Amino acid sequence: MSDKMTIAIRKRSWIEWSGWAIWFVGILLIVQNAIGSAQELEPRAALILWVSLAVWLLAGLVVWFVRKDR
Amino acid sequence: MADKRNLKLGRRDFLRVAGLGAGAAAVATIAKPTTVKAGSQGAKFTDPAGRVNRPWWVRTVDQPTTEIDWNVMQRYNERMGTVRGPGMAGYVGQEEVDRLEAAAAKNELQRMIDNVDGYTLKDQALAEAHVALGWSFLGPQKAPTPEERGMPKWTGTPEEASKIIRAAMRHFGAATVGFIELDENTRKLIYAVDPDGKDMIFTDDAVATETDDARYIPNSCKYVISYTVQMSQETMRRCPTPLAQQTTQLAYKRGQDIQASTQEFVRGLGYQCLGESSTNALAISPALAVLAGLGEMSRLNRLITPEFGPMVRVFHLLIDLPVAVDKPIDAGIMEFCKRCKKCAEACPSESLSFETEPTWETQGGWNNPGHKAYFENAVTCRAYWREVAGTNCGICFAVCPFAKKDKAWVHEWVKASGSMVPALDSFFRTMDDAFGYGVQASAEEWWGLDLPEFGIDTTMSVREG
Repeated sequence: MSDKMTIAIRKRSWIEWSGWAIWFVGILLIVQNAIGSAQELEPRAALILWVSLAVWLLAGLVVWFVRKDR
Repeated sequence: MADKRNLKLGRRDFLRVAGLGAGAAAVATIAKPTTVKAGSQGAKFTDPAGRVNRPWWVRTVDQPTTEIDWNVMQRYNERMGTVRGPGMAGYVGQEEVDRLEAAAAKNELQRMIDNVDGYTLKDQALAEAHVALGWSFLGPQKAPTPEERGMPKWTGTPEEASKIIRAAMRHFGAATVGFIELDENTRKLIYAVDPDGKDMIFTDDAVATETDDARYIPNSCKYVISYTVQMSQETMRRCPTPLAQQTTQLAYKRGQDIQASTQEFVRGLGYQCLGESSTNALAISPALAVLAGLGEMSRLNRLITPEFGPMVRVFHLLIDLPVAVDKPIDAGIMEFCKRCKKCAEACPSESLSFETEPTWETQGGWNNPGHKAYFENAVTCRAYWREVAGTNCGICFAVCPFAKKDKAWVHEWVKASGSMVPALDSFFRTMDDAFGYGVQASAEEWWGLDLPEFGIDTTMSVREG
């Protein structure tokens, strides 16, 4: 019995990695401003930014889920 | 096989780094402000005159963003103002002034009885706590002079003089310090008459003197120190209440202290240092501050600084020690004011201008003609203070989009973007509203806040060189 198997390797393009890098930087910036706004005792600004973070994370997850098998 | 594993690990690593990075950013942001700025640990000035590092979007310019017609400008009689002296009575009559004062006194008592937020007994007690130590034109004159020590007076280059004065004044509590040299034009910014009615006379005398009728300024005292003292944004956002307005009084009190210490410091070097004889005496503070590059004029018709917005009081001193002078700045503030108008919309007495462009036309004798500005109606403003607020107002300061702390990086991005691309100003104004900035906060809540000294962040203007 042969144990041979074939592995398909797909290399992600630099554009895709750049997109994920921007997404990640976006997370950092939103988190910083959300925490900063809370420190500034600006609850509405902090809330908007936390909601923005949730949307940003969700968008990233959706994109990752849609593209993970491509 | 190896490639496949590496690919999987790469994705995991990426997510792990993302998580660690987000965590690191969160921890860095939570850290106390005094621990995150290297400058606050004693970084050295890189400028020979000790100028602080301004944000990159603050441009030094030859002419201020407020147009000035020096041919029209005259030395101002400060007794024409509406806050002190007979100015207000001259505009509305003594009877009306008495009526306003009676209304203020009645409201003050009733609000204490009713426990109105920000007007309670403890708020009023705090507002009256800042006992004035005393301003002085000539200074305390207690420190020994070099002559008294048997030493020659201090000598150095103008840059060195600026540097040590800046260092001393920042140590005394000044937020920012700038210098200008008086010439035939800028001398018009020194009052002709001080708030107490004394004439302000330039003289060839070597030493400054003061009589019952006049203050004599030696022509050699031609260098102006302009400096700001921070107010507490967190406190001012409770305005208009006695609780909020006391941050103004506290800043004036600290300004007095800085003035006296600077006068003694300069005296100790062997030079003269002439100060304000009362609050906002001697000269037109915002004008000198604009020329010294501390900020720009604004729709408030007050100074707005790049670092603290309008949350400062402005002071000045005259010295005969030659210093390195500064230039005006353009940080896009005046341009922003053209499109924002948030202060004018928030002003309950409608005392601020809604015009898009500044004008040469003054509103009354409380304005000094000769510069293009957003002149305010100081009479309706003052009447609101006494009749409705029962205290200084400050709403225009509190709602200003430049009145922000610096914990969230977005404020710096907005100020930089607005400075470089004024077309974005209207959008930023809209977002300022959407994010809830400028909304009045609870005065009662203030008593439970763990605020830093004086309610201010003294590291806000400190940047690494």
